[in-house]
Amino acid sequence: MRDADRDDLELHRGLAAGDRGAFETLYRRYSPSAYGLAYRITGQQVLAQDVVHDAFLALWRAPEAYDPARGALRTFFLSLVHHRAVDTVRREERIRARQDRASNLEPVTVEDPAEGVTDAADLAERRIEVRAALDTLPPDQRQVLELAYYGGRTQVQIAEEIDIPIGTVKTRTLAAMRKLRRVLDRSEAPEGA
Amino acid sequence: MTDDHGTIDELLAGHVLRSLTGADAAEADRLLTDHVPGCIECRTTLEGFRRLSGDMGLAAEPVTPPETLLPRLRRELDAEGARRRPMRVVAVAAGVAAVVGLAGLSLSQNIRANNADVRADSMAEAAVLASRPDARMVDVGPVQELSAPGEEILYVMGDGVPMPPEGSVYRAWIVSDETPTFVGEFLPDEGWVFLEIPFDPTVHDDLWISVEPADAPTDEPVSTERWSASAVA
Repeated sequence: MRDADRDDLELHRGLAAGDRGAFETLYRRYSPSAYGLAYRITGQQVLAQDVVHDAFLALWRAPEAYDPARGALRTFFLSLVHHRAVDTVRREERIRARQDRASNLEPVTVEDPAEGVTDAADLAERRIEVRAALDTLPPDQRQVLELAYYGGRTQVQIAEEIDIPIGTVKTRTLAAMRKLRRVLDRSEAPEGA
Repeated sequence: MTDDHGTIDELLAGHVLRSLTGADAAEADRLLTDHVPGCIECRTTLEGFRRLSGDMGLAAEPVTPPETLLPRLRRELDAEGARRRPMRVVAVAAGVAAVVGLAGLSLSQNIRANNADVRADSMAEAAVLASRPDARMVDVGPVQELSAPGEEILYVMGDGVPMPPEGSVYRAWIVSDETPTFVGEFLPDEGWVFLEIPFDPTVHDDLWISVEPADAPTDEPVSTERWSASAVA
């Protein structure tokens, strides 16, 4: 376990005890990553802000939803942000579809990206590892995985969008996730393990 | 139904990415309650995919959130004051031993214990929903319904819920124009109940909870022991 993950466990214990300081420390540590992820998925700052707000509130209100035995707090929290962001995209799609049907509105314009930031050294290190792992994927696997994860697309939508059978979407997705998991598990393992 | 691990892994991958729909989503829900809790291979696979989902979030460029976000969170935490966990849902979540995600209008699902994957997500989502100022919590017989305008999901929860008479079960129904559709059945686990039910407010207008003989058909409630969420709205 990395030092930062051990620190997070301590902060998580603080959350469970209602420690506002622990909450703010976690906010400072993870809000740029969470907001960057939510922004990439939703494409709108106001939606990304709501996603991150709800995710932090959920962490505060139900810290017991995180089980330390299942991995790092970082991965739990960013997974929660991802889920909420994808759900938000789907909800917006439904609303937009209804509005489009009703009034033939123009599609929502994607906002300009916000300025990037520098984050903690351990997060920056892991970020490099994850991006390098993504680079190891064959292009067709990476495309499918990124459409699902960062694009919030369903497998049916992906099949239609890139004109391949849904079975191929499934096999490419699984192959990509297995390979990424192997690469990242190796990079996370202590030296000599 | 799926029972080979290659196909199951495909469904678990899609589930973690939230990219499943229709029959695949229903099958994944079934696997998460029926198969995964008892299969160490699938639990390991699922946990690996969940960690990967969190890791992949780091590949997005970090962006400083608006300055207003932290003050907004502080105000909401301040409003809670000493009532650290004011909503009943959190009390339920803290002690819940059993959670089930009911897959739309699919099969009857008895409550299963230790479905950690469903539990963590559902508890967090319910906690967020409960924090909304327009969230609505109403008694429906021995349980409570938590919902909010515009949300296509609702939660049924309770603690100290009595067991129904021997040979009977609780059943949940979603209702459109007074026509009930069976969603699932459940028994309290040491008094705890926590259910997540898809609910489309543009189609459905009520939730019923009833006590039914366990062997009764599920095409409609046969018991008069029935409670409606709208009756107390």
